Amino acid sequence: MNGFWRIYRRWVLDRRRSTLFWILGLVVIIVATAAFYPSLSDSTGESLDSSSGAMSSLLGLSPGIDPSTPLGFLWIGLYANIVPWMIMALGIALGTAAIAGDEDTGALEYMLARPVTRTAIAFSRFTAAVSVLFVVSTFSALSLVFSIPLFGLGDAVTTTAPNGSTSIVPGAKSTDVLAGSFAAFAVGAGILGIAFLLGAVTGRKNVTVGVASGIAIAGYVLYTLSQMTSSLEFLTWVSPWRWYIDDVMLINGLDWDVLLPFGLAALCGLVGWQVFLRRDLQNP
Amino acid sequence: MSTVIETDGLSKQFGDLVAVNNLDLAVERGECYAFLGRNGSGKSTTARMLLDFIRPTAGSSAILGGSGGDPVIRSRVGYLPGDLNLPRAMNGNNAFDFFGGLSGVADDPERNDLVERFGLDPTRPFRDLSTGNRRKVGLVLAFMGDPELLILDEPTSGLDPVLQEEFRDLLAERKSRGATIWLTSHVMAEVERVADRVGLIRDGLMACELTMAELKSQAASRIHLTFPGSVRPSAFDGVPNIADVSAQDGTIVVHMNGPVAAMLARAGELGASEIETERQDLDDVFLQLFDAQGSER
Repeated sequence: MNGFWRIYRRWVLDRRRSTLFWILGLVVIIVATAAFYPSLSDSTGESLDSSSGAMSSLLGLSPGIDPSTPLGFLWIGLYANIVPWMIMALGIALGTAAIAGDEDTGALEYMLARPVTRTAIAFSRFTAAVSVLFVVSTFSALSLVFSIPLFGLGDAVTTTAPNGSTSIVPGAKSTDVLAGSFAAFAVGAGILGIAFLLGAVTGRKNVTVGVASGIAIAGYVLYTLSQMTSSLEFLTWVSPWRWYIDDVMLINGLDWDVLLPFGLAALCGLVGWQVFLRRDLQNP
Repeated sequence: MSTVIETDGLSKQFGDLVAVNNLDLAVERGECYAFLGRNGSGKSTTARMLLDFIRPTAGSSAILGGSGGDPVIRSRVGYLPGDLNLPRAMNGNNAFDFFGGLSGVADDPERNDLVERFGLDPTRPFRDLSTGNRRKVGLVLAFMGDPELLILDEPTSGLDPVLQEEFRDLLAERKSRGATIWLTSHVMAEVERVADRVGLIRDGLMACELTMAELKSQAASRIHLTFPGSVRPSAFDGVPNIADVSAQDGTIVVHMNGPVAAMLARAGELGASEIETERQDLDDVFLQLFDAQGSER
């Protein structure tokens, strides 16, 4: 595939500034949230225990998660909502930019006037998009890893059950954070794949962003609705949030479900590539 | 002489719109072919099909003996799109390195010469460039590596007259080196100096195809003749090389399409007292041809 690495390098280079801003934004949110732990760890649990099922779902509360523990706090404060949403937003932006972004302006067509194939462009751009997402996810994870000792998140805490018994819960470890971050990266990769597919099929940026965002939001709404009534539980199978929220990999560690969004991304990438090979480029 | 661009019944339809209809085209090696037509007539669609950006609804096309989608073929082509858009942060040097690198011509020794000829500052990012300067980047990229075939879509659009002249000089140089050139335009004067043949496309159909010599001959001279007495146009019946004769404001106006000796002899016999000549430019011919083709429908 002539030009694969050249296209890959150029695409990543063209995004170095926006990538830096994404990293900075996530790091600031993560560190600022972690910094609140010492002051909030005592009160969080009581105020949320009485919430409705839907509210619990919205906040990422699941049975067995105590928001007064370090990992419970990180889950509710970051990994149940903000981090995956931001990673998904970046995934949509990158997946859209891979093909539809440049096609909309005519830059993709100009590249195709050079001795490169559509296959080389599709694969290099897809790989580059996943790489950028991985780099941002990694930096956000590392920022939390370094925050653990700074804000006492690694310290064990003593919790009291409703029956009065106490237990000691260990603090957050680097491996927990890496597992949670990897699961968030997986969700982002899945939606990146969907955005890539939409861009490869339509070649239109606005359509791709709109539909991919709609899919991400619909998955979240479906999962939240299913928490209100068990009759809607079947809807959760199409939502990436089902395994992400239910499996709580930040606390429970990685399991095989984490491969599902990667499989989805790979499938979308392959289908998108085949469609891109066969269709007309859009008139810029 | 071998055929460098060949289309056979090439057609493209977008929904109900027929953008290009049954186009047969053959451009020989070393030839400069100008594809002329009004906006939306199918010129750019044809260029995009030649390079396999879009696929024909019917018919086929080939450039340099193969498909425009073949990277090996594309490495021998210089292309300038009608509207060049590059990543906004990329500057001219980045563009020459990257796109030139894809074609293996980033280190072309003529690169700096081209930049100087077009007076381009290659360090300014694309987002800061005017339309004309963006065009210059595109032209440098198209000419880098001395391609065998140049496909240029509205190449002088946005360039000032001095740079248009520079472009025509460059085109003439590349033609003299043996390059084949296919360019689109809606300005007849632009192609007058460099083109060997022109194809006129209208609503996706090839309206007519002429050599430059044939086209220029259609830019027939108009001769105004004044006579002391009354002379009727029929007095010139049977005189060779006269396309049309009419009476206008007391003078006889003769449209010539060939040597004028016989007509002048006849005017002398009739006692012409004054002769005034007027020559159409090619833009007038362009307009007449399109009007004529349009009125035939």
